[in-house]
Amino acid sequence: MAKTQLDEVNRNIYDIKNKDNYDYKIKKGLTKEIVEEISKQKNDPDWMREIRLKALETYNKLEMPTWGPDLSELNMDEIATYVRPKSKLNSSWDDVPDDIKNTFDKLGIPEAEKTSLAGVGAQYDSEVVYHSMKDELLKQGVIYTDMETAVREYPDLVKNHFMKCVPISDHKFVALHAAVWSGGSFVYVPKGVKLDMPLQSYFRLNSPESGQFEHTLIIVEEGASLHFIEGCSAPKYNKVNLHAGCVELYVKDNAYLRYSTIENWSKNMLNLNTKKAICGKNAQVDWVSGSFGSRISMLYPMSILNGEGAKTEFTGISFAGKGQNLDNGFKAIHNAPNTSSVVNAKSISKNGGKCTYRSLIRITENAKGSKSSVSCESLMLDDFSVSDTVPTNDIRTDDVEFSHEAKIGKISDKTIFYLMSRGLSEEDAKAMIVRGFAYPISKELPVEYAVEMNNLINLELEGAIG
Amino acid sequence: MKGMLLNETPVRTSKNFNINDITIENTEVADTINEFNNVTISEFGSKIMLNEEIEKFELKYGLNEFLTNQVNKSANFKANIVVDSKTNKDIKVDFKFDKKNRNLVDAINIVANDGTKSTIVIKYDSDEEVNAYHNGIIKTIAGKQATLNVIVVNFLNNKSTNFLAIDNCIEDDANINYYIIDFGGKTSVTNYYSNIKGKNADSRLNTLYIGSEEQLIDLNYIGELFGEKSNINIEVQGALKGKARKHFKGTIDFKTGCKKATGNENENCILLSDTARSLALPMLLCSEEDVEGNHSTSSGKIAEKELFYIMSRGFKLKEALKLMVRAKFNKILEEIKDDDLKAEILEQIDKRID
Repeated sequence: MAKTQLDEVNRNIYDIKNKDNYDYKIKKGLTKEIVEEISKQKNDPDWMREIRLKALETYNKLEMPTWGPDLSELNMDEIATYVRPKSKLNSSWDDVPDDIKNTFDKLGIPEAEKTSLAGVGAQYDSEVVYHSMKDELLKQGVIYTDMETAVREYPDLVKNHFMKCVPISDHKFVALHAAVWSGGSFVYVPKGVKLDMPLQSYFRLNSPESGQFEHTLIIVEEGASLHFIEGCSAPKYNKVNLHAGCVELYVKDNAYLRYSTIENWSKNMLNLNTKKAICGKNAQVDWVSGSFGSRISMLYPMSILNGEGAKTEFTGISFAGKGQNLDNGFKAIHNAPNTSSVVNAKSISKNGGKCTYRSLIRITENAKGSKSSVSCESLMLDDFSVSDTVPTNDIRTDDVEFSHEAKIGKISDKTIFYLMSRGLSEEDAKAMIVRGFAYPISKELPVEYAVEMNNLINLELEGAIG
Repeated sequence: MKGMLLNETPVRTSKNFNINDITIENTEVADTINEFNNVTISEFGSKIMLNEEIEKFELKYGLNEFLTNQVNKSANFKANIVVDSKTNKDIKVDFKFDKKNRNLVDAINIVANDGTKSTIVIKYDSDEEVNAYHNGIIKTIAGKQATLNVIVVNFLNNKSTNFLAIDNCIEDDANINYYIIDFGGKTSVTNYYSNIKGKNADSRLNTLYIGSEEQLIDLNYIGELFGEKSNINIEVQGALKGKARKHFKGTIDFKTGCKKATGNENENCILLSDTARSLALPMLLCSEEDVEGNHSTSSGKIAEKELFYIMSRGFKLKEALKLMVRAKFNKILEEIKDDDLKAEILEQIDKRID
């Protein structure tokens, strides 16, 4: 009997390869000399060079994870950790070299900038090649620039926040990131400033056998508000590429930050990214995440609710197809009274893909009156895919309301029957169910990303469910 | 023994979450296991053969190698229980720890032959003063169309150590229903594994736990579904007071081929003090499409509105708390048909919540 067919992500646009045409590519491997050379190439101040070298020491001391997907195929001796493209940082798309500009054109970035964004950053391999923001935001004191410029021009702000939210010793790939980071975005939203339109940074890795280690640092001051969008993609090569970015978010008292991500790395990518947010009193951070690409992904954004009344929401979907092992999830630490977290995670596994939802909710002794609600649902589309749910719930005080629920299953025959009895064809019924499954996530995405997600999940349904 | 590692989960998660396994510090493990004589056995028609050689237990999980070996090599109580009558048979095995019987290492092998129905109650109780040590393995096999109910009752005092490993194998159309009443032991660690291999095989596990003072309760429950249309239900209700800690690790694993299998897991922890700690890892692992799996966990204190309602009817706070705990536990308690045992459990709930 024919099976439900759900096409994997259509990668036509994302798999366009440009010639590996770089200005400088560091030799493969990870040694003190290489880290020093990256620091020299980037003209780091001394304090940043010291952080890099300390991080390398930490990297060498830390073990590989003893849990989650098998990372044995990662060989740092085969990865070039810094690739400088043949482009300087530009503030006009006209100045960006044609091959790079064409790539971003096809990804729709300049068009989105014109219609729906307050600012855009575009990174190609290890360096940001384009950064721009609307003038009115500049006048309000908003800073949106690449990290290298921030290190140079706002050293105190960066020094006080860089690798403080995510400590270097957090895990091995954070230490790696701190040693070889390059590129990324820095955002500072002053007290009380509310941005009506989002800022977006797009990260594109073109060079084979290389890594991307961008650092995103966002500070949203008291009472301010920001929506930040992060997109990422890469063409597919035969050998492993590595992404070990780091995102540090500081959401001060009464501030709001929404951080949306559509991750569509190629299927030779190991995506070992780290994201954390620290929330002040009555602050809120919302994460919206779509994870479609990568061979292996280990990504667990974390909200640390340090201020009384702080809130966080996580809304995420993962789609694992052939050869993919997406180990994603969320962590929330409730560290203050009356904090709350809401998690809504979904996953779809097909064609031998594996999705794992892995999470931690910790409500500490200080977090009296806190609430947490977690829901995760997994859809299996064939009998040789895998879907696991591995949530940890650590409750350390009595005055809490905590609940967690999870479901695993296939598309229900009864539901299809019901919809067909209402006049829908079998294909339309199935399409409606899968879109309905993903809807709680897609409705949270910016419109252009929601459309992109619907295009990515291109349904091709035939025959009955087996 | 210093730093004994046990109860490892089938799938590892981040080391920082501190739940993959448990290290018990300074466990007093008796070197010499002397005789244990204070045991009462009531049998009603089934065959129970005591102190015969039992085939060495080979456990897929178990608590750890050391504790499994201790049972295999040094058990001071061995029982082979074979249920072979098709009418309902009950057996009660009642262990009472006292000054002369401090250490029990028991190996219990239960075979419910095809089509039989039976209930076996195994109770561990202790004098208040004795520092008891219990390490046991219960292996249960249910043949085709057999129904086997096993009720394990741990009423040990809060100074004692309790280690228990359970290993099930369930054939076509058979049921094994476990009820674990886990109230005692300064440290109480249980490993439960169910191999649900038969078509329409059904595994049910109902647990009640209460932790008080500085008790540590570690529960590692694993159900693997292989058979078509097989099912597992895990229902865990508990209450923690004082500085008690509970680790619940529940895994439902749908293996390829278990088409139309179902699995449900629910864990609810009532927190009766702000120093108690509840850690839970309810896992669903799935490599078969045509299944339905659900799990849910919840933790929190008893709602003030509910307490207020009961207290407005003239009950004191402690009585109201006891009533609420009893009410939460009732779903499982009402399935226990032995009224005397049920009364004993209720008495223990009141005593331990007091």
